[in-house]
Amino acid sequence: MILYILRRLLSVVFTFIVVSIIIFLMMHAVPGGPFDGNDMPVSPEVRAKLMAQLGLDKPLPEQYFRYMWGVLHLDFGVPFQSPGETVLQLLGRAWVPSLTLGGLGVLIGAPLGILLGMAAALRRNTWIDYLASAFATLGLTIPVFVTSMLLILIFAVWLGWLPASGWGKPEKWILPIIAYATIPMATYARYTRSAMLDVLTRPFVTVLRAKGLSERRILFVHVLRNAALPLVTVFLPMFIGTATGSIFVEAMFRVPGLGAYFVSSIETRDYALEMSLILMITTMFCIAYLLSDLAYALLDPRIRRRR
Amino acid sequence: MTQQQMAPSPRALAFRRLAANRAALVSGVILALILLAALFAPLITPSTYDAQTWLTEALAPPSAAHWMGLDDLGRDVFTRIVYGARVSLGIGLAAAICSVLIGLPLGAIAGYYGGTVDWAVMRLIELFSVVPPLLAAMLLGALTQGGTPTIVIIAALFGWVQVCLLVRAQVKSAREKDYVRAAVALGATPSYIIRRHLVPNAISPVIVGFVLSIPMAMMLEASLSFLGIGVAPPVPSWGQMINVGMNFMYFYWHMAVFPTAALAVTVLATTLFGDGLRDALDPTTKSR
Repeated sequence: MILYILRRLLSVVFTFIVVSIIIFLMMHAVPGGPFDGNDMPVSPEVRAKLMAQLGLDKPLPEQYFRYMWGVLHLDFGVPFQSPGETVLQLLGRAWVPSLTLGGLGVLIGAPLGILLGMAAALRRNTWIDYLASAFATLGLTIPVFVTSMLLILIFAVWLGWLPASGWGKPEKWILPIIAYATIPMATYARYTRSAMLDVLTRPFVTVLRAKGLSERRILFVHVLRNAALPLVTVFLPMFIGTATGSIFVEAMFRVPGLGAYFVSSIETRDYALEMSLILMITTMFCIAYLLSDLAYALLDPRIRRRR
Repeated sequence: MTQQQMAPSPRALAFRRLAANRAALVSGVILALILLAALFAPLITPSTYDAQTWLTEALAPPSAAHWMGLDDLGRDVFTRIVYGARVSLGIGLAAAICSVLIGLPLGAIAGYYGGTVDWAVMRLIELFSVVPPLLAAMLLGALTQGGTPTIVIIAALFGWVQVCLLVRAQVKSAREKDYVRAAVALGATPSYIIRRHLVPNAISPVIVGFVLSIPMAMMLEASLSFLGIGVAPPVPSWGQMINVGMNFMYFYWHMAVFPTAALAVTVLATTLFGDGLRDALDPTTKSR
């Protein structure tokens, strides 16, 4: 098992390097540079000096190795759009609202989705099933910025119950959290329904019934555990997926989080920030998948034995 | 053998089960109607998608002449939605087909052989699954200035991962089964076992994966339009129409609501139809 984890960690490093090279090349292949914008026009001399100062006049491989050498020492560079702080400081500041809202959204949405999916599978082809399926599909169909828009329109503009946007007071968190929660809830409802239907028809369920186990025990101990495999694999990735969801939700609710930096770093060719953001998400996804696979092995002894 | 001749074929049984499922049947009819509308768009719409015929009445709400009203540039919203079906369905289907074409064989091979093959496929999956598609699309969009091919490529490049993982998991647990061992013992080649036993047994996750990658591609298109790197105007797509409509949402609701409804209905129909197909194709649900 330890050997397996070490091997996986090695592959995380491999992925990290490959992704960093691809992203670095793509980033620099986009025409234009960080000081070509029209917001703050600079003379060619100043631009050349700035580029030299930041090492952007060096050949690409050298720039890459310099940057990665810095990353090894936890120095992710300085964001050009906010030169007063380091990338790490900026991320540390912006991460808090995104993680709070996105995390709460997933933690609330996922269990609700599982319950909904179970209800749909148990009452198959009844109105509960259709309602749950309709909700799950709508949750996955309607883009999160439209959901956000509708939430603002209904609860802030028409009913006036909750503030439309901002950050700080907990009542301002409610609408964005609902917006974040729809996707995990819908995804889990779908996956749970189809996984449950798969498991419910297996012979061992009939055996358990014949054995006289209570229906509740069969459901929550045996069926759910067997249906949990596909559910476990999507949990952590979904959690991190809220980071990209933040691009939309935070723009709609005016939350000062990570979201805006994804777009602005690409638009303004803010290389250090762009690279750091993508590498950070990449690494977190790697670790999330590793943990998911470990959980998979814990839940299914058949898979564990084969390793 | 004689029993097979007397009883209806599995395919006929599946078709019968599908026809018995009312939700799937209704969804199928709706899908067919949307497809027909998309195909014969010029015949059922009062103008072309980019004609600003009614510029003086721009932003007019729905009326008898214009079922869904007019947009900010004096174009008929109904016309644009019908033409938008071509774009949205086209992107969704193209991306989903590409996803399955890449994901199914890779998943089956990885799940069956395990070992080095599995390792290689998993590394490939890891590369694609750790970079969020939206960020990659934004980078690629900055590079290629967006457009339909970019969206399909991105959606397929990232959509196959899900199909592949589902198939791999299914094949991995199915190859433990006795009938596979029996087939191996009888001398069946790996490719025969995969084609004959493992892939048909993994068909239900493939259908779920296929169905889920259609809305995913449509959503990616909508999200990219939100960020301004989607389908280039004046060609209409539902995502792009939602985004434009949102700017007018507080006073002219019809511009955002109708494309949202079109997207929702299409995906709902696709999903329910896929679900019905899944239930019909899976013989283990026959007794229920």
